[in-house]
Amino acid sequence: MKHAFENIVVGGGHAGVEAALVSARMDINTLLITMEKTAIARMSCNPAIGGLAKGHLVAEIDALGGEMAKVIDITGIQFKMLNRSKGRAVWSPRAQADKNQYSLEIQKRVMNQDNLSVIEDIATKIVVENSRIVAVETINHGSIPCKTAIITAGTFLNGLIHIGMDQFSGGRLDEKSAVGLTESLNKIGIKSGRLKTGTPPRIKADTIDYTKVLPQYGDKDPIPFSFQTERFSPKNIPCYITHTTKTTHEILYRGLDRSPLYSGKIRGVGPRYCPSIEDKIVRFGDRNSHQIFLEPEWENANQVYVNGFSTSLPLDIQLRGLRSIPGLENAEIIKPGYAIEYDYFPSYQLKRTLETKLIGGLFLAGQVNGTSGYEEAAALGLVAGINAALNIREEKPFFLDRSEAYIGVLIDDLITKSPNEPYRMFTSSAEYRLLLRFDNADMRLSHKGHLLGLINDHYFKTANTKRATIKAAINFLESTTVCPADINPILQNQNESTIHSGVLLQKILCRPGFHISALLSFFPADLLSRIRQYKGLDDQIEIDVKYKGYIHRQIKQIDRFKRQESLRIPGSLDYSNIKSITKEAREKLHKFRPETIGQASRIPGVSPSDITSLMILLKR
Amino acid sequence: MGVENKSTIVALSTPGGFGGIAVVRLSGDKSFEIIQNLFKSKQQLRHRLAIFGRLYDKNGYIDTAIVTYFKAPNSYTGENLVEISLHGSPFLCDLIITACKQEGARGAAPGEFTQRAFLNGKMDLSQAEGVADIIYSASRSAQTASAGLLEGKFGEIISNIKSAVVDIVSVLELELDFQEEEIQITPKDEIIKQINAVSAKIEALINSYDYGKICREGVVCPIIGPPNSGKSSLFNAFLKEERVIVSPSPGTTRDFIEESIRVGDYQFRLIDTAGIRDTDDSIESAGVSKSKDLLNKGNIILYVIDISELKANVLQLSDEISEKVIYILNKSDLAKPHLISKVKKQFAGQQHYFCSAKYLTGIHEITSGMVKKIERLRQESESVFITRLRHKEALDMARKSLMKSVDSATADNPSEIIVIDLREALDRLGAILGKTTNEDILNNIFSHFCIGK
Repeated sequence: MKHAFENIVVGGGHAGVEAALVSARMDINTLLITMEKTAIARMSCNPAIGGLAKGHLVAEIDALGGEMAKVIDITGIQFKMLNRSKGRAVWSPRAQADKNQYSLEIQKRVMNQDNLSVIEDIATKIVVENSRIVAVETINHGSIPCKTAIITAGTFLNGLIHIGMDQFSGGRLDEKSAVGLTESLNKIGIKSGRLKTGTPPRIKADTIDYTKVLPQYGDKDPIPFSFQTERFSPKNIPCYITHTTKTTHEILYRGLDRSPLYSGKIRGVGPRYCPSIEDKIVRFGDRNSHQIFLEPEWENANQVYVNGFSTSLPLDIQLRGLRSIPGLENAEIIKPGYAIEYDYFPSYQLKRTLETKLIGGLFLAGQVNGTSGYEEAAALGLVAGINAALNIREEKPFFLDRSEAYIGVLIDDLITKSPNEPYRMFTSSAEYRLLLRFDNADMRLSHKGHLLGLINDHYFKTANTKRATIKAAINFLESTTVCPADINPILQNQNESTIHSGVLLQKILCRPGFHISALLSFFPADLLSRIRQYKGLDDQIEIDVKYKGYIHRQIKQIDRFKRQESLRIPGSLDYSNIKSITKEAREKLHKFRPETIGQASRIPGVSPSDITSLMILLKR
Repeated sequence: MGVENKSTIVALSTPGGFGGIAVVRLSGDKSFEIIQNLFKSKQQLRHRLAIFGRLYDKNGYIDTAIVTYFKAPNSYTGENLVEISLHGSPFLCDLIITACKQEGARGAAPGEFTQRAFLNGKMDLSQAEGVADIIYSASRSAQTASAGLLEGKFGEIISNIKSAVVDIVSVLELELDFQEEEIQITPKDEIIKQINAVSAKIEALINSYDYGKICREGVVCPIIGPPNSGKSSLFNAFLKEERVIVSPSPGTTRDFIEESIRVGDYQFRLIDTAGIRDTDDSIESAGVSKSKDLLNKGNIILYVIDISELKANVLQLSDEISEKVIYILNKSDLAKPHLISKVKKQFAGQQHYFCSAKYLTGIHEITSGMVKKIERLRQESESVFITRLRHKEALDMARKSLMKSVDSATADNPSEIIVIDLREALDRLGAILGKTTNEDILNNIFSHFCIGK
């Protein structure tokens, strides 16, 4: 039964399912190893998908044929477009998920997928021959041969849970941790480190006093994540807002002596953007109150997620702290908040395909790469899955660069910065943010998804049609002059200064605060109906016209960027002999082994003059 | 930073300061075209042939020069290359380099000519390592000036400027990357105010470049005034009274007579403009060509007026220029006391001195007044000044980007648009201080704001 399975995915979290599904869809006989089938695609932390910049990732996953967007569109219970008051480029969707339905829906897709088998087991060892993976050893199924494997073990590798002074091993609360795999990777030369993350307590919904908390609904006119979602009328179940009080802070303060974070028990580095409540009161002592969001974990849930109250303080402190919060005076805890430390593999060891530089066919994806968040994990799983399949098919690898997608920014940051705290996606990390919008993810990427066979002809054509319509509309605006008689009434209506002679429509649209909707009546009927065929297309036209100068600047920067990105550095380059490069840069380059000049230039400690020297040597 | 061979670069190839001769080099596709627009000669430029002629910029004649043209690939850099040999005056070199830039060249980075030579295969392999070292050391010195390695007050001021911009960017990025419920929004007006404040600081530094340049190249002092007011007499009086520095190339152009004197710590470069009053573009019709250029380039303008011929309307000067003016009220020996007191009243509030160029009275007062004026410039630059053109250019561009971001904010553009210009300003400052990364911005956000649920 040699190579009955070509690709093995270890771990059934958000990275693992995307990796397994995509690899199977690319005709690779794939095996998913999970500890527990019912835990597949479980949401370990908050019951939500998306958020600022993360929503972009989800849309990109969608345009490349991943599952996350489609499934949250079906199982979400509240949808909200964030940053609506800001520019379009930073609009990003977020949805409250029905946790149970979300994982059930994913499980259904995994179980029904051709070429994909699932077993319950624990991987303990990677078997390598000639620097290439040949098998994965498991506890119950022995050694399973393979051509590639993707490790997506999340927080399970030597997971250690902390609640107050108690600590015990586990991958999540009440779930076993995975022992052996880290050590096996270490033995073949892959370095590992420790990270930490945390989650807040879950409380009983019927112990909340809803008269004291503020309901918060989603959008009345919700926008789906997936461009393939056609009929969309999701539920709109509210979350509730409350806040901590001075008393809360005093209670928590008094518990600090039993905090594993402050007593030095936790050594792993935690994410700064997701601080525990004790961290917030210590670091920002001048604040008398912090906001708390009460989020239902599923429809009609009796279990509520206390967002903003992530903690590893002892249970008694957690409970007393919660009960000092308005509305939570009688709260009862179902599951305590906790911190977890786990192994990760610093990401400088990866290629941009997410294959390890050291072991051929071994891919790493998700939290083991040092990221946090379901969306980041899913994006990495997808890219690893695609590349494992291409690797087996001996085809050219797939990767996205920083100018193409947030996924490209994510992976590039990982391999050139190798962050040592859990990495989260931010829009500010994307230098070409104006071009990488949520609303154009399909137009940016679906041709790539289509080429890989992951996006069908229909949706591929849809994206092309949209692109063509936008182009036609821009041409129209840039070439059509409007006369005073026609436009002045509209301008007067909006308290805008009127015009005295003919002006291009584009000029009118460029006026600050002027919206395209007031100009739609000037479009010829057929073009107008093409624009109206897709929701939000008018806004996209407006952005392209209004910010043309800025968009143009970014496109020019991308040209320069692409030139550096196309300069390959041979993997065999010996940096130790390059005298014209600083010692620090030599060390960094040796450690990161960048694939291109562009990557090299983004490694901290490598200066522009080092890059110049390197380029001169490479030109030779 | 990439190797871009397409652009045409220009730089002074001989050491700065005064010398018998200076060589300015142009390299790149457009070199030939650029020099054709600036150089007039009876002979056509030909490959490897030194041609004598005259250089002109858009304001007119600059200097005589010998220009040699090397056609690609048979040149030092392997590209079309032009060597311009002219008189060794920093003032003239500046003029011609500026003119080349106006024609489309850009300033060369340190070592860039050599780098191009290497990349175009003009050097053999054994030399290559050496080239890398040259480039390395050249940009290394630029780099020691970066990332906190800049020492002293200049480093402090520049890094304060940079962190002020980082703070503004952080505030805007914070609003973009975190949900409204979690943070407080800073009003646009406040943002604009902050940008303007940084911009003003940068402007002060840019202005200090003049002082820095003075320290290096001498104070440029054109002597202007109506016909027969005594410009040449004053010029000669200075030379008689003060220590003359023998410049290796007296009379940098045929139109101006230039001499240098040393007073205190400063070298003053006196330029007698008497010669140009006979031409069409005399100083009286200010606004044209050379005269205007001199008014702009001058650090101190000595405005000579014959008090016996004093008319009510003295030449109207722009604020920027009148700040540089010292009025020399000449022929005081001929004036009656009541005229003197009347003139005193008229020039109250403006720096002015009475003198008699003929009898050499009042000359020391003028020179000490000139020193005072320069000292004031020094004080205005907060005892910190920039001396490198590279720094000035970076600051200039940073300031322009900041102004653009103000326009952008005023036009009510969304934050992610405003940030584009602000980040560009940071990139420009990065040329002096080392680049600002996304991580720097995020670190700043995390240390100042309580965010994250």
